[in-house]
Amino acid sequence: MCNACGNPAAPGHWTDAGTTTPGDRLRARFHRAAVLRNVLRPYGLTAHDDGSVPGIQLSTLSGAVTMVDTLEDLWQEAERLAGRKIDPLDPRYLND
Amino acid sequence: MTDPVPDTRLRLTLLGGYLGSGKTTWLRHQLHVGAFGPRVHVIVNEAAEVPVDDALLSGASGMTLLAGGCCCCTGRAALIDALRALCDQRSRLSADAPRLDRVVLETSGLADPGSIVAAIQSDPVLVHHIVVETTIVAVDALHALAQLATEPLGRRQIGAADHLVLTKADAAGPADLARLRATLGLLNGHATVSASVLGAEVALPPLPPGTLPADLPPLGPDDVRGPIQPTQVHIPDGLDWASFAVWLSALLHARGEDLVRVKGVVRTPAGRLLLQTVRKVVQSPEILPDQGDARSDNVIVFIGRGYRPEDISRSMQRFLDLPLPLPV
Repeated sequence: MCNACGNPAAPGHWTDAGTTTPGDRLRARFHRAAVLRNVLRPYGLTAHDDGSVPGIQLSTLSGAVTMVDTLEDLWQEAERLAGRKIDPLDPRYLND
Repeated sequence: MTDPVPDTRLRLTLLGGYLGSGKTTWLRHQLHVGAFGPRVHVIVNEAAEVPVDDALLSGASGMTLLAGGCCCCTGRAALIDALRALCDQRSRLSADAPRLDRVVLETSGLADPGSIVAAIQSDPVLVHHIVVETTIVAVDALHALAQLATEPLGRRQIGAADHLVLTKADAAGPADLARLRATLGLLNGHATVSASVLGAEVALPPLPPGTLPADLPPLGPDDVRGPIQPTQVHIPDGLDWASFAVWLSALLHARGEDLVRVKGVVRTPAGRLLLQTVRKVVQSPEILPDQGDARSDNVIVFIGRGYRPEDISRSMQRFLDLPLPLPV
């Protein structure tokens, strides 16, 4: 934990499970950001993780940026920025 | 790849159950026969100001009493302090020394196990030191049906359990016992069930076919979403763990209140990961040894309500097959 800013408050994120070396962890972060970009694009959002700044940078296509620590925070912020619910069980998402 | 670092975190067993359901009796016997191993610390929580239960427990290597406040709400700070003190003591010993293996937390009869797990996971110290292993809930074979008919809390406790112990099993008739078991199966189809008399385990006869569960009236807005049911989802081989994790986190964010529990073993390149969640809280997954029963691998059980069971695997498939056509 950083003495000045207190980040990260918790050890990694549960999605980092199975990464034992720093290299693995970095790769996992880049990969996760790529997956997120794919998922968030239809909502007019994009995610960026450069590996050095802690957390994930979530931004709208018009330039509003917010930083989140975990995926739980990310969905909350994404819903705020997108102005609608993001629900994987939404019938529209399932093409019903 | 380097060998995974052994997980030396302290194991926590939660023991819950409604008021007077026989938690302490069961725990006392289990400690007496050493079911929790030799190095176990017991934390007993009493919602009342006057502690009574602590005099009964003596088989543990240590014991803490938290009186005056249920530890899932008003007494939460006291619980966190007690657990931190235990972790602190333990961390002063070398990992090779005989040190505490397990903590059993006997909750008060009014506690909701889910919020205790959430409290531990959100504490920046405890999350490093403690892994919540199982939730055991005592069910009074004699009175549970009456309680379940009127008490939303009783139903929540059942829903949070990994294992249900039917206490006072000798006091209920075989027909009543079968009816209770069928009802429990409806409320929590995932938990294993055993029976006990004065804490000692007794064999349960096989459930007679065609036993109907008791009729449970809906209690408030929670129950109009239908019964809690388990759904098994098979994970495809060669799963991309990152995509899966992103999907699961989105699902828990949107449906966390409905998904009581998610549990399963996922095979990843790094090893077998034991994944479990309680409501919206995901415990940091443990890497399991490669030996052992691999048949249940890559099956995840979702326990919840308010969705169609088949939608979960459809949603996951859709998510894993990115890029996706999404609603506009």
